[in-house]
Order: sequence, then structure tokens, then C-alpha cells
Amino acid sequence: MLTYLIKRLGLSVAVVVTVLLVLFLLLRLIPGNPATIALGPRASPEAIQRYSEKMNLDKPVWMQFATYAGQVVTGDLGNDVFSDRKVSTIIGEQIGFSLALMAAAMGWAVALGVPLGCLAAVRPNSWLDRISAVLSVGTIAIPSFLMSIWALLIFSVNLRWLPAMGAGDPGNIPDQAVHLIMPALAVGLSWVGYLARMVRASMLEVMGEPYIRSAHAFGLKPARVIFGYALPVAILPTITLIGMGFGGLISAAVFAEIIFARPGIGKLIYDSVLARNFPIVQGAVVVATALYIGVVLMSDILVSWIDPRVRNSL
Amino acid sequence: MTKLTLSRRSFLATGTAIGALSLVGLTPAELQAAGETTLRLRLDGDNKILDPGYMIGGTEIEAQKQCLPFLAQYKRDGDSFTWEPTYFVTKLELRDPTHIDFELADGLVWSGGNGPLMASDVKFSYERMKGTDWGGYFDALDHVEVTGDRTGTLVLNKPFAPFFMVTLCHGPGAILCEKAVGAAGGKFTTQFPAVCGPYVYDQVPGQSATFSTNPEWTGPKPGYDKVLLRVISETKAAELAFEAGELDCTELSTDTMARYKAAMPAGAAITTAGQLQYMWMGMNTEHPKLQDIKVRQAIQHAVDVDSIIAAAYSNVPAKSFGVVCPGLIGHRTATKSYSYDPEKARALLAEAGVSGLSLSIRSLNTQEPMLAAQIIQANLAAVGITLNVIPLDSGPFWEMGTESAGDTWKDLELWTMRFAGTPDPYEATQWFVSSQVGIWNWERWKNAEYDSLYEQGIAESDEAKRTEIYLRMQDIMEETGAYVWICHEPEAYVHPENIAINAAPSGELDYRHFSHT
Repeated sequence: MLTYLIKRLGLSVAVVVTVLLVLFLLLRLIPGNPATIALGPRASPEAIQRYSEKMNLDKPVWMQFATYAGQVVTGDLGNDVFSDRKVSTIIGEQIGFSLALMAAAMGWAVALGVPLGCLAAVRPNSWLDRISAVLSVGTIAIPSFLMSIWALLIFSVNLRWLPAMGAGDPGNIPDQAVHLIMPALAVGLSWVGYLARMVRASMLEVMGEPYIRSAHAFGLKPARVIFGYALPVAILPTITLIGMGFGGLISAAVFAEIIFARPGIGKLIYDSVLARNFPIVQGAVVVATALYIGVVLMSDILVSWIDPRVRNSL
Repeated sequence: MTKLTLSRRSFLATGTAIGALSLVGLTPAELQAAGETTLRLRLDGDNKILDPGYMIGGTEIEAQKQCLPFLAQYKRDGDSFTWEPTYFVTKLELRDPTHIDFELADGLVWSGGNGPLMASDVKFSYERMKGTDWGGYFDALDHVEVTGDRTGTLVLNKPFAPFFMVTLCHGPGAILCEKAVGAAGGKFTTQFPAVCGPYVYDQVPGQSATFSTNPEWTGPKPGYDKVLLRVISETKAAELAFEAGELDCTELSTDTMARYKAAMPAGAAITTAGQLQYMWMGMNTEHPKLQDIKVRQAIQHAVDVDSIIAAAYSNVPAKSFGVVCPGLIGHRTATKSYSYDPEKARALLAEAGVSGLSLSIRSLNTQEPMLAAQIIQANLAAVGITLNVIPLDSGPFWEMGTESAGDTWKDLELWTMRFAGTPDPYEATQWFVSSQVGIWNWERWKNAEYDSLYEQGIAESDEAKRTEIYLRMQDIMEETGAYVWICHEPEAYVHPENIAINAAPSGELDYRHFSHT
């Protein structure tokens, strides 16, 4: 297990470094002077000069990257171009909102999708299975941004049941929870379908296994067989899917954060791209990548812990 | 008009509030009398630098207007704009073309025990600005003479008529507390070192900014006790928030304004702050394909501006006839040397001996400029000119005509452009003087008369004479054949009918002067 863990960690670090390098080069490949782009067309020569010096733009690109990578290793993601605040502080203020949104979205998707998949699998080709199939494919097909806009128009603009914008008052947990409902609904909806289909397929495979037939033959209750014996095995690919899907969840959250004007790392990246605030773009993308890799790593470790055969597959 | 509905949310909120109040023995009417009033607005992003010397602009100026003293403020006078002294001064007078006397109001103090508002604060603030990123606004200022604790004189180094409108009323005209800024290290970013105004400021990055009552303020009480601004970066999202009843006022995009004009939400009204943006199509007079003025004039006659305004801007903006915007002295109401006439365009091309002409037009890759470029492409195709549309991101777009940024200016042929400015014609005309060729005069023409008129316009304080000067300057611009004037986009806000808003011509809101009926 330890060897597996070291291998996976090494791979994760390599991915983060690659992303860091590619992102750094891409930002410098954008046509135009980065200082003019960031500060706007009417920035004074003095302001452009200050910015260039602060961002090391007067040095060769490789030296800029080496300096930046060295800072990142020590946890210093640089400073905001405009306010001069620490990028790590700014990201720290926002990331909690994204994590809450992703956890809530995936939470309700798992809570609904997994039982739906199980039910569809234990009664294949029944009306329940068919309804579940239609609903699953339907929810997969609806893009999260479209769902966000519909939800906003229906529940906020027309019915005025739920708040349209923001994350709720700071420190007011019930208010923040209410503000989380629509974005979580929009972001998590397609995952209900994915999970239901995945769990159904896995369950159908596992339900045909001899040990499940034996469990039935021993007279165990169907619920015990399904949730005690079949689901723990069938859920393994679903755990991997959730881990891999976290990346998709981050991009879906970007749309929800923009549409609901909700703070979060996605909206931070979006706003920073519009403002050409490259230190924040770099820092936030690196953190989002690390977050994604961290979740994938955790899901891999969880799967390998449940199923030791996986440890030899790296 | 859409119907007013009693939503479940508002019903529950009202019911809960009435229930809670009954428990403590207060009626809603009593609470309204005793409670604070809150104005809910939109902020399009965090305020990053509140320091007027290093600010980005926009909402930062809005914040300064609520928390810092200014000597002058904009005033709408019918359809035009002028200035008036603020309540921070008891006197603000142009003694002669280079001396402006002021007297600060008595009894106004800086927050945090930083003492009274002094004439020395004005001297500190304005002389400090000369060395900052916004120093251009103070080029005409020589120095500030302090003649008493609350009195002084702004001494200009040359007569500069736009000083009131362009500098004193605008964000750079904010006055800072010398003592507090010194203690903060000479610069500040996201918090004011000290305020002197009806509100104190606070923000939660990425979420909101709040203007709450300044307990040390002794001046006039604002219309609202508290102003809460939610960070909503997208205009469309803010419009939905208004429709959902979560904002009291928000800026409108052009297409939504057209939609609202057709079917206004119940109880809502639109206020247009100003139309200080000017969009045109420019031509590089030095480019070999465009050196012949007849070719440029043909293009002027070929472009159907009415179609552009209808198709790209939903017929919302005012049609443009020059760089001086509606409401300002020197605004033109018609073109003199061209109008949409494809036949004339073909004749001019034939006269120039040009056929099979192929050109390119560069445009920002956003919705309206791209649509405008495509309509121009169709217009020019109708007179036999093939136009290649080149969409550009803002980075390369804003430096394509700048000589110091590379050689793109040499290939520049046609482009769509939009500038915005302050409410004085000086600012709009400054970009086209001879010294601006290769900087912002991308059309690359020089005219001695224009340059001379520009200097005269700055020095002249007589409005009638200034009007003549700026009208003539725009005639000269048009006669170069390098411009097709397109439109002036409005800065428009939607708000409930019972809220009167206050906005500068350039769009910055002044929450202090909002009122509720």
C-alpha cells in the first residue's frame, strides 16, 4: 500500500508541475504586452513599468518561470496585480464556497442517484427501471448552465421562493444554506443521471455473481444482499467516477458561480481572466488543479484500500 | 407591463417579521420609523484600489464619492451637464482664468480622530496627484495656495476651462486626509485611511461592499442609512437579480434596455445617466489602399449607420455625428460631408479609379462591435469592396495602432472603436491632435488648424465660443474622410419608480443623493 501511495503521490506532483508550466507559458503566449493587457489601454508608462518589474517581465521567460515555481513551492502564489493582496489569501477567501457547492451538489446527487441505480438494477426492465433510464439520460443531457438559468427564472424571478444572487450573509449559516440550494441543484443534477446509470450497470453485473446467488439461497433479506453484499462491490467504479468527475464539477461550478453571482474559485478565475489579473489566474488554476488531483488521489486510495488488486495496476 | 405578484417568499418573510415584531411589541410602522433604510445595489467587481492616485476607476470612484470630500459635483441642466459646488465647500469660484478660490465648510471632520477637514488636505491631495497614475488630470494645476485653515486657491499653470468638469467633479478630484494617508504609508488600497462623508466603507472580497452610516458625519443626511452592494460581475445576472427583487437599481445592457422599453417590469423606471461613449469606424489615412481621400469618402458613404444601430444595438443608442457626446457643448446633430448613399460611394470609387478593393476591419471580439463590423462588411460588399473582419481580444486590439507596441499600425486599415470620457469636449478631442499620431490618433492625420483650435478650446471659458471651436474641430475630423460616426451608447439604470437615483454623466452612481418616496 505504501509503495502504491508513493507512486500515486509522485504522479500527482508531476501533473501539477506540468499544469503550472503549461499555464505559465500559455499566459505569456497571449498576444500583446502583459502589462498593457492587465492595466488597460490608458495605463501610464510609470504604472506599466512598475507592473513589469513586479511581474519580472523584464527577465527571460525561463527565469520568470523558475522564480514563480520557486515561490509556489514555498506556498507563495504571488500578489494581486491591483490590490497587492496575497493571491493565496484571496483564494483562501473563495475556495470554501466552491467546496461547499461541490460537496452539496455531489452530496444530493449521490443521495438520489445511488438508490435510483440500485432500484433500477434490482428490478431490470420494470417501469421503475424505464422511468429511471429516461430521467437519467434526461438529466445528463441538460447542461448545468441551462439548468442554472431555468432555476433562476422559475424559482427566483417568477416564484421568488429562493434567492437569486450571492452566497448569503457572512456568518449566517441558514441564509448561506438557502443560497446554496439552486446552485447545488443545477450543478448536481446531471450527476444524478451519471451515478444512477453507473450504479445500475455495476449492480447488474454484481447481482449475477455466484456469491450473490448464494446469499439469496441462504435466505438473507433482499435489502441485506443488495446493500450489504452487492453495493460495496458495485460502488467501486462509481467512487472512481466521482473522483474523476470532480474536474467536471469544478467547471460546472464556474457557470453556476457566474450565473448566481456566487463567490468561488471558478468565478475568481473568470473575473481574473476578464480583468487580465494573471497572478490570480495562475494561482487559482494551480489550486484548482491540485484540488482535482487531490480528490482523484483520494478516490484511488479509497478504491485500492477496498480492493487490494488495484494496488498492482499502476 | 408585467403583473405584481405576492410571492411565497415575501409572504413568509413579511409574516415572520410581523410575528417577531409582535413579540417585542413593535408594529411594522413603528419599526419603519425607527429602523434603518437599506439601498441594495450591484458592484461589478471588488474595489481593488480606493486611492484616487492609483485606482482602476469605475466603482472605485463611486466609493470615493460616498466617503471622501469633493469640491465640485456634476449637475444636470436640462439635457446638458454642468457643475456646482458640493456641500463640502461654502465657496468655489473662478477668480480669473488661472485662480480658483475655495472655502471648505466648517465643522466637517475626518473619521478616526484625524481632525477637521482642512485646506491643507486639499493641497496635499491635489499636489500629490500630479505624481500618480492619474496625474494627467492635474497637468494644468501648478500648486495649491493655503490661505487659512479652510480657505485656499487652486493655481493653474495655464487657463484650463475643463478643470471643473474633468478634474474637480471626477474621481481624481477626491480629497484625502493628509494625516491618515501619511500614517498609512502614503498609499492605500482596499480601505480608506479616513473618511469624511456620510458613509463608512467595508467590503467582503468577492461578495459585497457595505456603506454604513458614519457616526462622525455632521453634514447633510443621505437618503439611505445603509447601502449594500452585491458583487455581481455579469450585467445580465444583475438584471435578473433586479427582476427577482434583490436589487434596487442596476445598470442595463443595450438589449435588455430595448426589451424593457417594449415591456417595462411593473413599478420600474429607467434613468439614463449620460451618453458619454462614442463609437466610430476609423480608417488609416496613411495606408496605401486608403491614401486617396476619395476612397475614404466612398467608404463613408457606403456605411449604413442606421442599420448598425438597429441590428447591433437594438435601436437604443443615439446616432453619432462626432466625438462630442450628447449633452456636452459642441455636440453635433448632423454630418456635413457624408450620408448613407451607396450610389455616391460607387461614383467616388470610380472617380478614384479603384475597383476590386479588398480591405480588412479589426474589431473587439465582443457582441456589438462584431455585429457592427459584419454589417459594415455587407455594406461595403454592396459597393464592390471586399472586407475581411478580424476579431481581436482586448490585449492586441488596444495596442494595434500604437507605434511603440510593434508594427501592426502599418497594416491597420479599418477598425471599429469606442472611447468613453468625462463630460467636457476637451477630453474627446484630445486624442486626435498631431502629437497623438501613433499613440491614439490611429487615423494618422495631422491638421494645424485642429491643433490650434484644441489649445483655444482649453483656454476659452465662454461657452458659445467653445461650442464653435468644438463644432469646427469635428468638421475637420470628418473632412479627413477617416471617420464614420456610429453611436453614443447610454449609461442607463433600471430602478423602482419610487426610488430617485443620482448618476454622474459617465455612469458612476452617487448613493448619497438617492431618495425614496
